[in-house]
Amino acid sequence: MDVILLQITSAIYFLATGSFIFHLVVAKDISSRLSLLLVFAGFLIHTAALGVYFFHTGYPAVTHLREALSFYSWLMVGVYLPVQYKYRLTVLGCFIAPLAFLMSLAAFTLGVGGGELPLTLKTYWLPLHVTLAFLGNAFFALAFAVSVMYLLHEYQLKNKKISVLNKHFPSLERLNRLNYVFLIWGFPLMTLGIITGSLWARVHWGEYWSWEPRQISSAITWILYGGLLHGRLTAGWRGKKAAFWTIVGFAVVLGYFLLGDSVFPGRHGGRFE
Amino acid sequence: MKTKVIIVGLNHETAPIEVRERVAFENRSMTESLKRLVSLPSIEEGVILSTCNRVEVLAASAEEKTAVQDIKRFLLEQESGEDRDGLLSHLYTYSDQSAVRHLFRVAASLDSMVVGEPQILGQLKDYYFAAREAGTVGTVLHRLFHRSFSVAKKVRSETAIAKRPVSISSVAVDLAKRIFDNLEDKTVMVIGAGRMGNLVVRHLIQNGVRSLMITNRTFEHAVKLAEEFHASPIRFEDYHRYLKLADVIIGSTETPQFLLGTETITEVLRERKQKAMFFIDLGDRRNNFDPRINGIDNVYLYNIDHLKDVSKENLKGREGETIRAEEIVDEEVEGFLHWLESLEQVPTIVALKGKFEEIRQKELEKSLSTNLKGLSDMERQALEELTLSMINKILHDPIARLRTQHDSKSVYVEALKKFFNLDEK
Repeated sequence: MDVILLQITSAIYFLATGSFIFHLVVAKDISSRLSLLLVFAGFLIHTAALGVYFFHTGYPAVTHLREALSFYSWLMVGVYLPVQYKYRLTVLGCFIAPLAFLMSLAAFTLGVGGGELPLTLKTYWLPLHVTLAFLGNAFFALAFAVSVMYLLHEYQLKNKKISVLNKHFPSLERLNRLNYVFLIWGFPLMTLGIITGSLWARVHWGEYWSWEPRQISSAITWILYGGLLHGRLTAGWRGKKAAFWTIVGFAVVLGYFLLGDSVFPGRHGGRFE
Repeated sequence: MKTKVIIVGLNHETAPIEVRERVAFENRSMTESLKRLVSLPSIEEGVILSTCNRVEVLAASAEEKTAVQDIKRFLLEQESGEDRDGLLSHLYTYSDQSAVRHLFRVAASLDSMVVGEPQILGQLKDYYFAAREAGTVGTVLHRLFHRSFSVAKKVRSETAIAKRPVSISSVAVDLAKRIFDNLEDKTVMVIGAGRMGNLVVRHLIQNGVRSLMITNRTFEHAVKLAEEFHASPIRFEDYHRYLKLADVIIGSTETPQFLLGTETITEVLRERKQKAMFFIDLGDRRNNFDPRINGIDNVYLYNIDHLKDVSKENLKGREGETIRAEEIVDEEVEGFLHWLESLEQVPTIVALKGKFEEIRQKELEKSLSTNLKGLSDMERQALEELTLSMINKILHDPIARLRTQHDSKSVYVEALKKFFNLDEK
């Protein structure tokens, strides 16, 4: 049941992707509304899919890669929807919809069902720690999207090539400010994710910090984003530089998310084998 | 006779600017001119348009030929110069369908020098309101202008005709809006007092810019210009100090050497914490700013050639859109003419209704004062409603049919008039 729902979700995200690309070209009110309606429908069915899964297994679906992908894309869309409502950034959907589609597609093609949850993970720490960390990353995904848009837009303006692609992009100033807004939300959430993680580690492993590969990677991205925010606030880092480092930060996050545990095996709970 | 719309006038395509200026109407005396126009016996309603690109007289008249002659004479009287025959050769005349189409095209900015420019609609509205104030607008022109406003709106929303700026100054503003989110809190600095620079500034102000600095080698020029734009004049020796405040910098001097180079700009950018700067070089020598500053992060430099290139690109994109816009205009012309023709039958309809109403009143009066004398107020009321609704139902179909008869000589109309003896009234 939950797999069928997830497949439907993925199909709707696919349609939404097409609709957003169509919107990028024609920029009509109707294309914008259609795209948003599709994403919203996808989100609702996705929510149902996660709900059914939770009902079946009795624990939040986050410990296998496919589960994590599904949960993460759900959070990302969940963050995008209010952002869209507040900032009217339909173009952003052109990045979020395909990401959500690919993640949900990967989620159900990677296999069905989850293994039994190890006893050690059956604790409230799990949903708390994972939700905070993933929420932070969802904001980083949005920051990543506006940064890519910024670089495209900036390149074309510098080189005097105004094309269909960026005809409907928000202004550089706006993209730059949104990058900041998303970082300023993402960073504290990520920090809380790390704090809850280390508290949990203290309870379970007996120490706050044990240089686990996942802890190290989190520390690296934390320093990256923290440095970026610091640079923005004090040294006037903005525009291209900020966009570039946001993209680097997200590449590290995403790379480790997908590959980290197979390359650097550790005892961190979310071993996505 | 049938009422028709008539337009006589000249525009940027048929007459050079000197001629247009000679016949232009002054806004101060517009009411007078309008009243003089409708005092002509052939003219029923009139509106005068007088912008820098066109002077046109629009009228509703039942005597087309006389009206055209009258309007031409009216325009000749307006001509302040001597060359009256010359003026006649610049005039165009539209009537009926072609006149309606012409006005719709003007409103939709399809007849503008820069197709798609938005100002014309506002001007049209102003001249229409002036005529309405003067009392020279009636049913036909009222409807015509309101239709033209909605045609303009439709063309604007359904085609991309107005979305792509093509004049140099609107391209500059469009670029500024791609870099900056909101022009209202931005500061513009103008170096030099060139004409092109003034145009761009005017456009920027229209788009929300409120803070403006003007500098010039001759300080008096800067002061004069600053007064005109409510800007702050700055001495040429000092302008470097104010650069860090400027988001948009327009250079329109003709210097042999660069005014600003990479070193200065890098330093200024550091002072303003890397906030973006948009440089527009309007000089013919493209020499105001060192081209290399475009390579600095957060600096965007466009010179007059770049702006022209963007404009050309946008013009190309507009061609397909005008076809769709012309289609919209055609549909709307059709609709308006139908309405105009249905006006034809209004007197017949009024006469027919009047006749029935008269019979009803007479008969009611007769009965109520004789054999129905004892009726209560409520019963009288019921009787009133009953007879009224009977007449309305009986007349509904014939009137609906009448409205579709676009020719007053139609057999149906003639027959109806004969049967009900309507002509005598």
